[in-house]
Amino acid sequence: MSLIELKGASFGYSRQDIFEDISFKIGKGEIFCIIGPNGCGKTTLLDTILGILKLRRGEVLINGGSIQKMRPHEIARQIAYIPQAHNKTFPYTVLDVVLMGRAAYTGIFSAPSAEDAVIAEEALALVGLTRLKGRPYTQLSGGEGQLVMIARALAQKTPLLIMDEPTAHLDFKHELTVLETIIQLINDTNLSIIMATHFPNHAFYFENNNIKTSVALMDKKTFSRVGRPADIISEENLMMLYNINAKVVSCNIVSGAALKLIIPISTRS
Amino acid sequence: MKKGTVCAVRKKAIYAILLLGPLLFIFLSLFIGRYHVPLPAIVEILWCKLTLGYCNLPDTYVSVVWDIRLPRAVLGALVGGCLAISGASFQGLFRNPLVSSGILGVSSGAGFGAALAILLFNTTSYIYVFAFCFGGLAVLMSYMIGRVYNSTPAIMLVLGGVIVSSVFAALISFAKYVADPYNQLPAIVFWLMGSLASARFKDIAAAGIPMAVGIAGLLAIRWRINVLSMGDKEARSLGINTALSKGVVIFCATLATAGAVCVSGIIGWVGLVIPHIGRMLVGNDNRVLIPASLSLGACFMLLVDNMGRIITGSEIPLGILTAIVGGPFFVYLLKKTKGGGW
Repeated sequence: MSLIELKGASFGYSRQDIFEDISFKIGKGEIFCIIGPNGCGKTTLLDTILGILKLRRGEVLINGGSIQKMRPHEIARQIAYIPQAHNKTFPYTVLDVVLMGRAAYTGIFSAPSAEDAVIAEEALALVGLTRLKGRPYTQLSGGEGQLVMIARALAQKTPLLIMDEPTAHLDFKHELTVLETIIQLINDTNLSIIMATHFPNHAFYFENNNIKTSVALMDKKTFSRVGRPADIISEENLMMLYNINAKVVSCNIVSGAALKLIIPISTRS
Repeated sequence: MKKGTVCAVRKKAIYAILLLGPLLFIFLSLFIGRYHVPLPAIVEILWCKLTLGYCNLPDTYVSVVWDIRLPRAVLGALVGGCLAISGASFQGLFRNPLVSSGILGVSSGAGFGAALAILLFNTTSYIYVFAFCFGGLAVLMSYMIGRVYNSTPAIMLVLGGVIVSSVFAALISFAKYVADPYNQLPAIVFWLMGSLASARFKDIAAAGIPMAVGIAGLLAIRWRINVLSMGDKEARSLGINTALSKGVVIFCATLATAGAVCVSGIIGWVGLVIPHIGRMLVGNDNRVLIPASLSLGACFMLLVDNMGRIITGSEIPLGILTAIVGGPFFVYLLKKTKGGGW
C-alpha cells in the first residue's frame, strides 16, 4: 500500500483556481520532488497535503485515512513539515526548538516529558547537532538552522516529511550537508519525503545516490509530467516549463556511475 | 547524567526563589507606612489571624496590619503578577517582544468603563464592574476585527487592538470633557493613574477570582505558547489547534488583566518590561519565563507601591512610579546582560 496518495486534488480561492486534478502516490523510502516556476502553486499544494488548507475537490489519503477528517495532532503524527524560511523570533535554545516537535504528543495544558526530551536529543544526534543543543537557535548559521528544523520534524516521529525548498539561501557546503542528511535519513529510517525545489539537479542527486526518486513538473495548474528524473528532466521539458535553453550533461566521478546534471544555458529570446 | 541533575537542582532553586520572592515582599510591606508597628507584633497578628486565635494587641495594630497593609500587599502582588504574566504570554503569542498586556485594548476599555461609571453613579463598586466588563468588551472587539477567514493572524489582532484602543482612548477624553470639573474629572484622572490605596479584602475576593483563573490558565498552557510563537503555519503543522490555543491564551490573559486593571486603575510598563527582565534572568523558554514573570511582576509592584507610600506624605500614583523606578532598573539590566541574546 502506498504511504500517501492524492486523488484528483483541486484547490482554489474564491475566484481563482490554484491547481486542479493532481494525483500521485508515494511509497515508503521514496522521495518525490515537485519542480515548477515561482508562483505555480507548489507551496499551496504542500499546505493542502498538510491539512492547513482545505481541498476544493479530491482527497489526500495517508496510510489509507483522509487528511480532511483528521485533527491537527493526528496529522502531525503522520506528516512533519520543514519550512522554507523559518522566521526566528525569540532566542530559544536549539533543544527547546526541537522539543516543539513533540507538541502533537502533548496535551494542551501539559509540557513535554523526560521521554520527549530523550526523543528530541536523539533527533538532534541524527542531524549531527548535539554539540549545539544549548545555543540560542537565532545565533546559528542558515545551514545549521535548517538542520534544526529537520531535527524538529524528526522529533515528530512521522513516516513522511514535507520540505519546502529546504536548501534555499544555503551555500554549496550547507546545501550538500542538508542533501546528505536527507539521503542518510531515507537509508537509515525508511522515511518518505515530498519536496518542493527549484533545483532539478536535486532530483538527479537523489537518483544518483540510489534513492527511489520521482519528479513532477508543475505547470498550468497541474502536474504536466511525472516520472523518473532521467525521463522527466530533459532539455525539452525545461524549455516547456521555464522557457529556457538547458543542457543535460553527464560526467564521471571517481566513485563509479556517471553523474547526471542539467545546466541552464540561456533564456529564449 | 551529572549535568542533567545539576540542571534539575538549578531549576528547583529557581522555582523556590520565584515562589518565596513575592511572599518575602508581602511580609516586608507590612512594616512600611507612617504608623510604626514593631516586628513581634506583626508576627503575632499574622499568627493569631491565621490560626483564628485571639489577639492580645491594640486594635489599631491589628487594623493597620491586617485590614489595611496586608490586603493592599496581596492585591499589589496579584495585580503586578497578572499584568506581567499577561504581557509575557501576549509577547509569545504575537511573536513580538514589543507587545504588552494592554495590546488588545483591555486597559483603554477598562479606563473608559471606569470613567463612565464615575460619570453615571459615583460609587466605587460600579467602577470595578464597569471597568472589568468594558476591558473584556474591548478585547472581544479586537478579536472580532482580527478574525479573517476563520483564523486570527497575529498582525490582524494587533491592528484590531490598536484601533479599539484608540477609539476607547478618544471615548475617555470625551468622558473627561463632559465630566464635572470639581469632582468627577479629578476622580477619572486619579483612577487612570493607578492606585492600590482603596484595597480591602472584599476587593481581593471579587477581583481575585478572574485574576486567579487567568493566572492558572496561563501557567497551565505556558509550553504551548512556545509552539504558538513559531507562527500559525508551523504551530499547526506541529499538531496544534491554533485557534483553540490562541483563544485560551487570549481569554486567560484578558481575565487576568481586566481583573487587575479594574481594582488598580491603569498601570503601564509592568506588562511590557517585566517579561523582558524575566527573559534576561531566566531565558526565553515560556515554561520558566511565564512563572518568572508572574513572580517578578508581583515583587516589582510591591516595591513600587511601598516606595510610593514612603517617598512623600501623600501617595504618588502607581502608574507614574512604575515607569520612573522601572526605567533605570531596566537600563541597568540591559547593559549588564548585554540584552540577553537579542
